Amino acid sequence: MDKVMLEAGARSPEVSFDFAANVYCLKGESYPEDVNEFYGELMDKLEQHLESLSSATVKFTFEFVYFNSSTAKILMGLFELLDETANRGNTVEVIWVYQEDDDNMQELGEEFCEELSHARYTLAVVA
Amino acid sequence: MFASSMLEFKKYLTENGIVFCYSGYMTEDILHGIGSALKKKLDLEEVDRKVSKAAFAIFVEQVQNIIRYSAETVPQDHDASMRYGILSVGYAGKNIFVSCGNAVDNATAEKLKSLLEKIKSLDRDGLKALWKETLKGEPPEGSKGAGIGFIDIARQAKGGIEFDFVRLDADNMFFTIKAYI
Repeated sequence: MDKVMLEAGARSPEVSFDFAANVYCLKGESYPEDVNEFYGELMDKLEQHLESLSSATVKFTFEFVYFNSSTAKILMGLFELLDETANRGNTVEVIWVYQEDDDNMQELGEEFCEELSHARYTLAVVA
Repeated sequence: MFASSMLEFKKYLTENGIVFCYSGYMTEDILHGIGSALKKKLDLEEVDRKVSKAAFAIFVEQVQNIIRYSAETVPQDHDASMRYGILSVGYAGKNIFVSCGNAVDNATAEKLKSLLEKIKSLDRDGLKALWKETLKGEPPEGSKGAGIGFIDIARQAKGGIEFDFVRLDADNMFFTIKAYI
């Protein structure tokens, strides 16, 4: 269970979760038929792992081009989990990457990141 | 003979600005196929990328709503059934619209009506607040999705949304929503 690496599917993002290094990334498009089927087990594993950490450094990168509203709900839960992890004494760094002219993804990044009280965050533009 | 009736049908669509139209049972594969064609068409027309992304996002929410909620299914009363809906994408003047219609039962129609009236009454900040509240809350009873698709549609539809209901039979209404980008 050290790593979960999934290539992007037709409607699902690329997943790169390195549990040993605590470096995580979700990238691409996300509008799967059943969000719980795609994210359920993945998020359970992540939650279990993050809850076991103390004084660790966690880095989570979001690099979405598009996600649907059901995915947004998963992301809100994930942001809550990351903030709780930081609140327990871990260093959590969230990086939200969006494309240069993508105002919508920038705005979504700001809206999700303003939920964080304990984790640090950066919004990063790519050309 | 049927060529002329098909042509009449096409003329009707063209006169109403409709570029894409699908009527039938919706599946995720159809969503992906039409979605790709829609993206390509908007790219070819050199539509502003923000507009084309918003159109695609609204399209996905509308189709996934049909797949999850339409009351018209085959086989009937089966959870793994396919659901019927009609969807169109076109131009109203210079604005792109995405519109869909499907059957909903009376109880769902009532819930939808009050949700959509609430959504229409909100400004951008109000929509953002409702969006966040809904993302953090438990999904409504009977909801297979996050119950947040319509708020998302309203946030992306910079030209506003319209919705309407008409009675189908004693138990069902036909519901339609049109979002302008």
